[in-house]
Amino acid sequence: MTELDTGAPVVPETAPPDRKAKVDQGFLRRAGIVAAILVVAVVVALLQSGSGLVVWQSVVTGILTGGLYGLIAMGLTLIFGVLDIVNFAHGAFLAVAMFLSFGMVQATGLHPYLTLVVAVPVLFLLGAAVHRGLLSGAGGRSLENQLLITLGLSLLLENGLQMFFGAEPKTITLPGDFQFSLLGAVVAGSRLYAFLGAVVLGGLLFWLLRRTRLGTAIRAVAANAPGAALVGINVRRMHTLTFAIGTACAGAAAVLAGPLVTVTPTLGDQFNITAFVVVVLGGMGNVAGALVGGLLIGLVEQLTTIYLGGQSSLLGVFVVFVLVLFLRPQGLFGRRA
Amino acid sequence: MSARKLVAALGACALLATGCGGSAPMGAGGAAAGRDEGPVKIGALHPVSGSNAVDGLQMRRGAQLAVDAINAAGGIKSLGGRKVELVTGDTQGKADIGQSEAQRLISAGAVSLVGTYQSAVSTNVAVVAERNRVPFVMDVTASDAIFAHGYRYSFRVQPGSKAIATAAAQYLKAVSDQAGKPVRKVAFLHEQSDFGSGAADAFNAAAKQLGIAIGPNISYDATTVSDLTAQVTQVKASGADVLAVAGYYRDSLLAAKAIASVKPDLNAVWGVSNGAYDQPKFVADAAALGNLYFSANYHYDATNPETVALREKYQKQYGDPMRTGAVLSYDAVQVIAHGVEQAASTDPEKVRDAIAAAQVAPLTVGRGPIQFAPNGDNRNAFPVLMQVRDGRVQQVYPPEKAESRPDYRVAWRP
Repeated sequence: MTELDTGAPVVPETAPPDRKAKVDQGFLRRAGIVAAILVVAVVVALLQSGSGLVVWQSVVTGILTGGLYGLIAMGLTLIFGVLDIVNFAHGAFLAVAMFLSFGMVQATGLHPYLTLVVAVPVLFLLGAAVHRGLLSGAGGRSLENQLLITLGLSLLLENGLQMFFGAEPKTITLPGDFQFSLLGAVVAGSRLYAFLGAVVLGGLLFWLLRRTRLGTAIRAVAANAPGAALVGINVRRMHTLTFAIGTACAGAAAVLAGPLVTVTPTLGDQFNITAFVVVVLGGMGNVAGALVGGLLIGLVEQLTTIYLGGQSSLLGVFVVFVLVLFLRPQGLFGRRA
Repeated sequence: MSARKLVAALGACALLATGCGGSAPMGAGGAAAGRDEGPVKIGALHPVSGSNAVDGLQMRRGAQLAVDAINAAGGIKSLGGRKVELVTGDTQGKADIGQSEAQRLISAGAVSLVGTYQSAVSTNVAVVAERNRVPFVMDVTASDAIFAHGYRYSFRVQPGSKAIATAAAQYLKAVSDQAGKPVRKVAFLHEQSDFGSGAADAFNAAAKQLGIAIGPNISYDATTVSDLTAQVTQVKASGADVLAVAGYYRDSLLAAKAIASVKPDLNAVWGVSNGAYDQPKFVADAAALGNLYFSANYHYDATNPETVALREKYQKQYGDPMRTGAVLSYDAVQVIAHGVEQAASTDPEKVRDAIAAAQVAPLTVGRGPIQFAPNGDNRNAFPVLMQVRDGRVQQVYPPEKAESRPDYRVAWRP
């Protein structure tokens, strides 16, 4: 079972100080290398495109969409880290929450962001129900089991949405959306909000896992489920709770991303693959890593567009994905399993 | 080891996504083998689930309306008034499923097939049709590649990708000249699959011949793109005065949003075979953003009273405006029924010959009746130029099909 990693260099309390320093150093060194590669990538992009404005807009767009990717990947990485479940239904959960948000905005004229109050709890309950009903036996079991269950669930949800709402693409408009120029680059308010939402949500999750009793219990279950059970933690309940929290994150991500995308039942497909790459890049189970991984993937995607004149931006993303798998399969900020 | 596990899972997912492309059982000769009685069956293949379900459902209904009209008018007269029946299959937008569904409908006795909306699916269905010697009349299929194989049983009603892109370039030259702002340089933003890059290549070739400068040519991945701001910034930096866009609905709407925020110094936004800019839905979704966008594409003939009546009927029956794809399906079924009528037989081979010689008046814009060239392409298929005006998509060029005159401006500049 994968250990849950909240992003900080995790060291046992009793570790001698020199070991702590070594871990910190490794972390800083990797961060430094990544930053250096990014700087080189931006400079090369600048040389290639010859227009500072184009590159600057790409960087800004990359960071903003990267925040969105991180936001969507957070719940996924949490579920993977604790339950060891590769949840292919995450994108479908996202779509469910988006339609919920859309339906409420249509019916009541609420401000889209206010639908958070409903979407997050509903998705939490949905996640809990799905885990109890479908998945509680599959965690840690054979891969095909959970793969087929979550894939089947995603098909079920997508087709259910299509039945109820139709396949017609929907749009959620943010009242009073604005845009401003950041040193020449265009920034839409809705994208900035989604980015800030990602940072806040990442912080909340981090705090929940590191600073609360619940978080400690979740981490204990992730690290050693039998041991956690021995000290009186209800492992099954923790698993259900974690799955529910991860799904609720998809709910929050959906509401924040709603005004940026076209809402369709199959919308999850658009983000699923990117989200998985972000999860691997950030270190599986690493919530803060998901945010950083999201930003990196956003930047890679935009810079690839400049290098390759807009061949599939996924090409660059997958090159990074494969490199990470070869060089550091535990992810940039994950620990060796 | 978790990374390996995840990769294995992703690999499995990819395999599942590409589908279990098992070969379908070979049909037993279709109608020719069975008893020839009861209704004449026409097989309709459209994506009624999946991401293109809206258009797929529209087209299936369009085909059904044609069948209803034929039956209401007394069925196939040369066969003693036999009724026509639509047998349907769902391609889910996937080529392999389209192939097995085509096989199933042929085995069920379909005398001819109509479909499919996606070029990749049509490519596979055309092979099945060819193997079974059953005519296949395509309603929507942009790719021209299918017609390079010398197939005998494949026909197409809509104008192909190259015809639309070439007309788009000619219309651009004519309309911009007329407006006194002759086009100098066109940037092309397109999705990267066959559809978008094919449109861009054909447009650029035609534009070059007209002396229009081209560049930059920017492509993107329609399945994953979530922001096109950087791409439109690139267009702005290039100094192009027209931006041509070839994409599907979702990404073309994203492009419109990006154009509205970056506000490049353009004289016009020019849709080429665009999946959004001639849709009533786009007018509602984009609101002010999309005003004055042009779109060169196939279209239902808004100046034909019969088309107007058909669309009214559709609207009444299904509560949804009838799209061009559905009108093309209507046309395609008319062609098939006409073929059966002329052949006075349900033998697919005879129906094929009758279709190849047919002349049927279309409800979509055409230069004349639907009439097939030796390669199976409709020789009178004809793209038209549309523009978003006063909250509605209107035909604006060429003049004989125009509802109003083109207004060569963009909304974000006076």
